[in-house]
Amino acid sequence: MAVGPLRPTSSAEIYELLERGEISVSQALGLFAQVEGEPPPAPRPQPAPRQTGAVAVRPECEPGDSGRAEEVLRELDQLVGLTEVKSLVHEIRAYIEIQRRRQRENLLAEPMALHMVFSGNPGTGKTTVARLLARLFKELGVLQKGHLVEVERADLVGEYIGHTAQKTREQIRRALGGILFVDEAYSLGRGGEKDFGREAIDTLVRAMEENRDNLVIILAGYQREMRQFMQLNPGLKSRFPIQLAFRDFTLDELMLIADQMLQKRQYRLCDDARFELAAQLKARLAAGDDSAGNARLVRNLVERAVRRQAVRLVGQRDLRREDLVLITRDDIAAAASGCGL
Amino acid sequence: MKSCLVIGKPNAGKTAFVLAFAAHVGLTSISVRAIAPDGAVVTRTLALADAGRDLVAPSPHKTTCLQSLEIALPVGKTRQTCELLDSTGLSERIHESDAVRRGMAQTLRSLRGAAVVLHLIDASRADRAGAVEALTDLDREIAAYAGGRTAYAILASKMDLPGAGRGLQLIRQTFPRQRVIPISAVKGWGMKEVRAFVVRAI
Repeated sequence: MAVGPLRPTSSAEIYELLERGEISVSQALGLFAQVEGEPPPAPRPQPAPRQTGAVAVRPECEPGDSGRAEEVLRELDQLVGLTEVKSLVHEIRAYIEIQRRRQRENLLAEPMALHMVFSGNPGTGKTTVARLLARLFKELGVLQKGHLVEVERADLVGEYIGHTAQKTREQIRRALGGILFVDEAYSLGRGGEKDFGREAIDTLVRAMEENRDNLVIILAGYQREMRQFMQLNPGLKSRFPIQLAFRDFTLDELMLIADQMLQKRQYRLCDDARFELAAQLKARLAAGDDSAGNARLVRNLVERAVRRQAVRLVGQRDLRREDLVLITRDDIAAAASGCGL
Repeated sequence: MKSCLVIGKPNAGKTAFVLAFAAHVGLTSISVRAIAPDGAVVTRTLALADAGRDLVAPSPHKTTCLQSLEIALPVGKTRQTCELLDSTGLSERIHESDAVRRGMAQTLRSLRGAAVVLHLIDASRADRAGAVEALTDLDREIAAYAGGRTAYAILASKMDLPGAGRGLQLIRQTFPRQRVIPISAVKGWGMKEVRAFVVRAI
């Protein structure tokens, strides 16, 4: 049996080959070594000092292939802009890696507090980055499942006394092994003392302590509101040590995002259209409202423009390949007027 | 709960060791959970005396799925339970039976999650080239794979049989850097050392 061409990329594939009888056990063991690189020596169990709101490196949880962690980071680096966010994520990654190595050498490894606050306008990439982080943590062996559960106030806060804790706990249960992403988290702090939002916050904090090695919570929201929220709840600040600010995208970045989106769909802007798009975005930025520096706006615009192009072309006969690819200035203008630009 | 995986060639005496070990830590009846490769679990409670007859055979590949049993070991003042996993034997060649192959894949899968790996090598036949139980490259590969990552010990089994002394010597020579504990499931030799090793590891 030829093993040469067999290049399984994951351990699951190796098990399958073994079960189908295509490789022998010794070949499987050899392939594991290939897939994993050097088999890491197991960390010795040690009494790690536990800290409030901290996520310990799970020694029993296998670190995934570091190749896949690299892949997630590459995907992150491909996102337009977000320079600070990227460098912070790289920092976190390096930190986790070193803590793991320290643990292996029986050095004191600090348990990591990985709960975060994301602040920024909608459409600036908070959810996208959270999703990538969840996958990254899974590959690094910090989280078991690496899924993202997105919730907002209505998912956490109940209608009567006691209902809130119940609802919040249910969402936490869903998020175990992954990231709980609380969108517009500041709304939990509004409404004064009697509001059930408080109860939701308390329940979240308690859950962070109970599940410290299997849950990461991210609070997200507008910059100003989040700052206020954290100031009003001083206990939260120490429990969410990582603060990431998502800046609005600049005009250049927005244009780059539009280009990437179109390229992915195999469309192209003609020069006039590019000019028109830039002008439209600029006007919006100058007006200075919240959704201006915002990738979602660009996506809506691009999707609309693609549809306008379709409407323009559908009546025409003998279209060239070029016509099907090109988005014109009129397409953009029509799309923009539809988007309220 | 930490798991302790018993691994080795077919007919190396894995199941016999597990039962002898259970007897050594003071169990009189065991509750064996048989975990099929597709995840189905069947639990059977057996008196230890009957278990030997039911689960052990003189021919290879009696065990075709993971058999798990919980044992409580005294650690300091308390007792800590750990899961003793008895596995399908790993053989060199590609086996013709689906069930055995699936069992082997399952064994490897649990190899990666186990906190303690006890690798059984039949000392009485280790130097008989050609026998299923003989010491081969596969044993070296298991040692190389598991030796670096978890608490790992080689148990030289069937020490009560003739020729086992020579086998033990060969095993010690082959794995100079691994811990080798000579045992006999039938006579109960070496169980104390294994217990000390497992307790230290969990």
